[in-house]
Amino acid sequence: VAISTPAPPEIRTVTLSIDGQELTVPEGTTIWTAARDAGIEIPVLCHDERYDPVGVCRVCAVDVGGRVLAAACVRPCEDGMEVKTATPDVERQRETLTRLLVADQPAPEEDAKETTTGDNELFELARRYGVEREDGDAGALPCGSGRGSDFSNPVIAIDHDACILCDRCVRACDDVQGNDVIGRTGKGYTTRIAFDLDDPMGESSCVTCGECVAACPTGAITNKPLHEVPIRPREELKQVDTVCPYCGVGCALTYHVDEERGAIAFAEGRDQPGNKGRLCVKGRYGWDYARSPQRLVTPLIRRDDAYPKGPLSADVRGEGRGRKKPGGLVDYDEVLPHFREATWEEALDLVGERLRTIHGEHGAGAIAGFGSAKCSNEEAYLFQKLIRAGFGTNNVDHCTRLCHASSVAALFEGVGSGAVSTTYGDIINADVAILAGTNTTANHPVASSFFKQARRRGTKLIVVDPRRERIADHADIYCQIKPGTDVAFYNGVMHEVIARGLTDREFIAARVNNYGDVAKVVKEYPPERAAQICGVGADVIREVARLWGEAGAGVIYWGMGISQHTTGTDNSRCLIAMCAITGNVGKPGAGLHPLRGQNNVQGASDAGLVPMFYPNYQPVEDVANRERFETAWGRELDPARGLTVTEIIGAALHGSVRGMYMMGENPFLSDPNINKVRKALSALDFLVVQDIFLTETAEFADVVLPATSYLEKDGTYTNTDRRVQLGRKVLDPPGQARPDWEIISDVANRIGLPMDYTSPSEIFDEMVSLGTDYAGLSYDNLGSTGKLYPNPDPEHSDGTVVLFDDHFGTDDGRAHLVAAEWMPARELPNDEFPFVLNTGRLLEHWHTGSMTRRSFALDAISPRALVFVHPEDAAELGVGEGDMLRVTSRRGSIEIETRISHRETRGSCFIPFHFREAAANVLTIDAIDPVGKIPEFKFCAVRLERAGSPVAAGVDA
Amino acid sequence: MTAVGKAPGTEARAGRFPGPSLIPALTAIQREHGWLPREELLKLAREARRPLYEIQGIISFYPHFRTEPRPRVELAVCGDLSCWLRGSEERIAELRARYGDDVDVEVREVSCLGRCDRAPAVAVDEQPAGIDDTDALVASAKERMLEHAGADTAGGPWPNDPYAPGVPRYQMLRRALAGDLASDDVVGALEDAGLRGMGGAGFPTGRKWSLVAAQPADRPRYVICNADESEPGTFKDRQILATQPHLVLEGMLLGMLVTGAEEGWVFIRHEYGPEEQVIRAELAELESQGLMGEDVLGSGRRLRIEVFTSPGGYILGEESALIECMEGHRGEPRNKPPFPGVQGLWGQPTLMNSVETFAHVPVIVDRGAEWWRAQGANGGAGLKFFAVSGHVERPGVYCVPMGTTVGELIEQAGGVIGGPEALRAVQPGGASSNFLGPDVLSVPLDFKPLAEAGSMLGSGALVVVAEGTDLLAAATNVLRFFRNESCGKCVPCRLGSQKAHAILTSLLAEGGGAADVDDRIVQLEETMRLTSICGLGQVALGPVLSVIGLDRGATAARPHPRPAS
Repeated sequence: VAISTPAPPEIRTVTLSIDGQELTVPEGTTIWTAARDAGIEIPVLCHDERYDPVGVCRVCAVDVGGRVLAAACVRPCEDGMEVKTATPDVERQRETLTRLLVADQPAPEEDAKETTTGDNELFELARRYGVEREDGDAGALPCGSGRGSDFSNPVIAIDHDACILCDRCVRACDDVQGNDVIGRTGKGYTTRIAFDLDDPMGESSCVTCGECVAACPTGAITNKPLHEVPIRPREELKQVDTVCPYCGVGCALTYHVDEERGAIAFAEGRDQPGNKGRLCVKGRYGWDYARSPQRLVTPLIRRDDAYPKGPLSADVRGEGRGRKKPGGLVDYDEVLPHFREATWEEALDLVGERLRTIHGEHGAGAIAGFGSAKCSNEEAYLFQKLIRAGFGTNNVDHCTRLCHASSVAALFEGVGSGAVSTTYGDIINADVAILAGTNTTANHPVASSFFKQARRRGTKLIVVDPRRERIADHADIYCQIKPGTDVAFYNGVMHEVIARGLTDREFIAARVNNYGDVAKVVKEYPPERAAQICGVGADVIREVARLWGEAGAGVIYWGMGISQHTTGTDNSRCLIAMCAITGNVGKPGAGLHPLRGQNNVQGASDAGLVPMFYPNYQPVEDVANRERFETAWGRELDPARGLTVTEIIGAALHGSVRGMYMMGENPFLSDPNINKVRKALSALDFLVVQDIFLTETAEFADVVLPATSYLEKDGTYTNTDRRVQLGRKVLDPPGQARPDWEIISDVANRIGLPMDYTSPSEIFDEMVSLGTDYAGLSYDNLGSTGKLYPNPDPEHSDGTVVLFDDHFGTDDGRAHLVAAEWMPARELPNDEFPFVLNTGRLLEHWHTGSMTRRSFALDAISPRALVFVHPEDAAELGVGEGDMLRVTSRRGSIEIETRISHRETRGSCFIPFHFREAAANVLTIDAIDPVGKIPEFKFCAVRLERAGSPVAAGVDA
Repeated sequence: MTAVGKAPGTEARAGRFPGPSLIPALTAIQREHGWLPREELLKLAREARRPLYEIQGIISFYPHFRTEPRPRVELAVCGDLSCWLRGSEERIAELRARYGDDVDVEVREVSCLGRCDRAPAVAVDEQPAGIDDTDALVASAKERMLEHAGADTAGGPWPNDPYAPGVPRYQMLRRALAGDLASDDVVGALEDAGLRGMGGAGFPTGRKWSLVAAQPADRPRYVICNADESEPGTFKDRQILATQPHLVLEGMLLGMLVTGAEEGWVFIRHEYGPEEQVIRAELAELESQGLMGEDVLGSGRRLRIEVFTSPGGYILGEESALIECMEGHRGEPRNKPPFPGVQGLWGQPTLMNSVETFAHVPVIVDRGAEWWRAQGANGGAGLKFFAVSGHVERPGVYCVPMGTTVGELIEQAGGVIGGPEALRAVQPGGASSNFLGPDVLSVPLDFKPLAEAGSMLGSGALVVVAEGTDLLAAATNVLRFFRNESCGKCVPCRLGSQKAHAILTSLLAEGGGAADVDDRIVQLEETMRLTSICGLGQVALGPVLSVIGLDRGATAARPHPRPAS
């Protein structure tokens, strides 16, 4: 797909000599870069090509014939310049600078870097210049007084004595990650790096992304070892190049594995076109869950005396008040005795027999399966094949239903593809970017770093969200809409775009259907009316419209704030129309990008783990499709689309679904109105749960199968950008845990669907052969950084960044707009339930917390359930920071600790849904979007009341 | 997309924070509370959507900001060279003994107050005074009865003022606005006059003006008057500000007309409170005469000058540090190039001259380059202000012909205390200039002769040192000043000044002298001189080297770097 790019401006060059070599370089090239490219090495400490130069360490000083030396890292080449990089005079200064720095350093045998990864760049320079810290040395300089240390962060250690104030961490924190936490404090010799207002790192606004650790050349900022696995030089460890298991950004990383201990020592970001070596706290520090002693290592069968089925934990039964250990995950001591260990044979036989029996007695529709967006493409493919071909039903779905189902529905309808039309990194080419309903710094932290960086390089950032999240601090325009008023806001913007004549008429004529309908509807949303509904000033709406309409390239990134509404599909339709009427699709820096949540939610959907599509989005109700898959799989298939996640729960409650296979999903905590989920799970005749931990859902299981974690198997994962990457086995599985794909195969064989795959790559090939999007991709050509799909030439190309450059994926190749009228949320606040409850995630936690709450770092940073309340609301409620609030909706009630937050809208509160002890989904409403079937997680009415007394810190289990 | 343009060589941290400077907001908080309470800082960061560390970086860098409540009385005392020569060590010890237990009084040793003619100098609640007046001022300050005296306007009328008393001022400006004086003529006069920067660097003024004027027309330009002289022994600009504000401002306004700037600032050190009032009064006078505003005298030109009060620190006299400060950052000098004339305030071409440079412009334009050149002596051109301090009978500011000899200037200042024979050494150009011996009485005070003698004209501050003074101790005192005022940005200056000071203090404590200074100092001096980002680090050890003897690689043998201000 060819994208025409404007011709680059003419580059002027300068000619100079470096150490006698004549060189011609583009104007603006620094001496250091020119020398490096010519094979001349100039030593540096503060300089690192990842960051713009600052020229503070002066080690790169070179002779340019001036009165003083010049810092090569920052000094541009000039015509006729004669540079000498290594004269004795120059080298003597470097030696002295090294001597000055070493004088205040800890001894190498005490240095936090030299004694771990062993790559302290200052000591390396000291060895080169023969500088040692010996007090008897004639050239020795007085040693400075201790500047202290800071161990307040659970995973990062700060030693100010080892700091050379190179500003690398400052630049990494600001310019790379955009977190803006580290700076210099003080002046002169007493200058130190500091966090925020010189606060302890662990109490500052630092998000522990670890980019500063990756940046630091000395022992000043280092990783602390986790679980006493020592950090050693890289060459003593095994490097496994793989992908982060958490979010849809899919950062490439390397685990450094201690093979003797069978454990990961530390993780580092890897250079891949998407994440460019960056990681967030979850990726860099959140991998130790795999070594948790709570891993399931043996198949389990529910004991006879644990029937009739119901939740096994007292608190889930509603008896939690007197719980001796409040908070935390499933209490194994309480739950495990209700199961007995079994052999794989026994457990699998039981699963096969029970599911077969239910299938035989109640028909195909009585079986349903939940796969997982955390499993690989291969496992997703295999799981849906098992349900579809093995049981003859399309009742297979996964958590995509809970995140972007409405976005995908609108995208399919509008542009004929559920995938993103461009990448998150393409924002750098955008004049304007709208971030709609996405708490991107928490949920897609590394993608957000590219958003922040683009803004610093001139992209106008418009953030639309009821919560003033951290990304709003970086916005050129922040629109704090009232919850549930997105349609009104975007209609108002489009009204103004059209009124100002800022539409792309040519694009509309050539490529858009139904423009007239949209124009007609948005005509009824003049900015004043939109403002009345959404609470954003009419002048701000006009300004957004002007910016958006005038942008040469505009892109929209959105998250669950758009999709998790009963109007989620309408919300997305508005965004599609926003792009289509301004011609902002199909060119660099323009397009539509629903930021996918799970690491493999894109891939799981691609692989057909949804009730309405076979792999590659081939509708199950299309006869030709069905016949093709019937041929491929050798079984008759269900001609009707299956039930979605929320519908399956309803069907279980009413007895039409009786047997379920749950692979890596924990709907008990993740689905809305979990009291209803609890009843539904209890009502099932048979439930098999395949997971790595004993989840809340597993409490309702008849059989629990121990699966391998992400780190213990090979497979491919497709990120939000459509990048298909190889995840490689890092560790051996514990106990008898087995890869999901093997377990699925064994179950399949027991219900009469033969599966004899020998490797994930074989499954991948089969999946690829049944669709077009992944065509050409194979394990052999994914390489170390994966490939974007579609990819016509995977041997040579990274793949397609921008889709739809000349036509959309719809039947006629045109965008099909659907106009949307604003409708209020399903359950509005009233006197009895006056607050709006919004739910979502925290940076440190992942969904139901089964992984992240077992990670030392993530749990230490964020150990407790919290409700975020605006300071003025808190004052009216009479609660302070840390006080307990009782939050009650029409469906249930929880008690939860208060966090005063300036980021909330008045009258709204926010509860992350990770914490079973104060589960947000006890409160949420299970009303769904009529098209996408996604629940309205972002809006329900609640009451807040003061409850109990303040909780002391550290009450978590 | 639109990329934010940066000149080649612009370092990553320069101009780092978008949006307006937070310094005014911080100053406002401090004015309201007397200090900076944490809650207020959190609120400021939240409302301005700026990182907390940016605030921390600023408030920890500038001495003006306090993070704890202020005492009832702030007594600032100076122990830098001119005060040190006048016995500040003992006097400060006395003050500490007297007020050490007084909870109402905070005795704080600060860097040079610019009152070296009253050495040892103090300031009570920012009111400058000689140390003898301390007790009376502290007593009134305790009672909240402290009266802030006006600026010291001693000296003058000076020969560089073309306006006799009573004669209407700003005539050059009026002529230029009326179109009777072309920019080229102004620049031509400055070039022909051979006027060079009087802040220390000595860059030809006419060339600087035409360089800024020649920048692309679509870029706004700014003019800044650097009134931040802060080097020990240097206080001549103070007296010019006090007595010739009209010349400084007219020079600036001419600079604005020539370069096409609409906005200008007088960046003045906060210790010059009384002088700042004089400038503000003169700005009001300009306003009342219609010489500032949107369309000055119907010329179609917009001209506006404001005062920017420095939040403190000698380093701000360095031009790029000054710009960083005005932009709201830590006052850390930038790597150069690019120079401010090309990429200055907010990335735009910026003309920056010192107080004295601007003050000389009107008379040169009025009377012509030839007249100006004729004012010099011994081959020098024009007039030169000197601050004379140390061991002389009448410390003060003197305006003399450029090229006046060291001996003549000392005579004007009443001679060396203890007689001519008592002269031990002089620092002819402020703290950053090398010490010269008593053999230099006949050397003309001018750029070239002083450079040939192994020192420099520098900031126009002649510090006289009499016999009985330990020169190594004096030079170490100068080094202490530079160590205290180092911004900490680059390694050689941050660490070199500290290590060298530690080495020398212990040497002095052990009774060592110049002969005992070892090669570590010699090497540190070379490294600091050759690799520091700005003049402060480059010169910090020069004075020390200058007292250890020519045979050990000292002053005359070395090219003298440019000073910081």
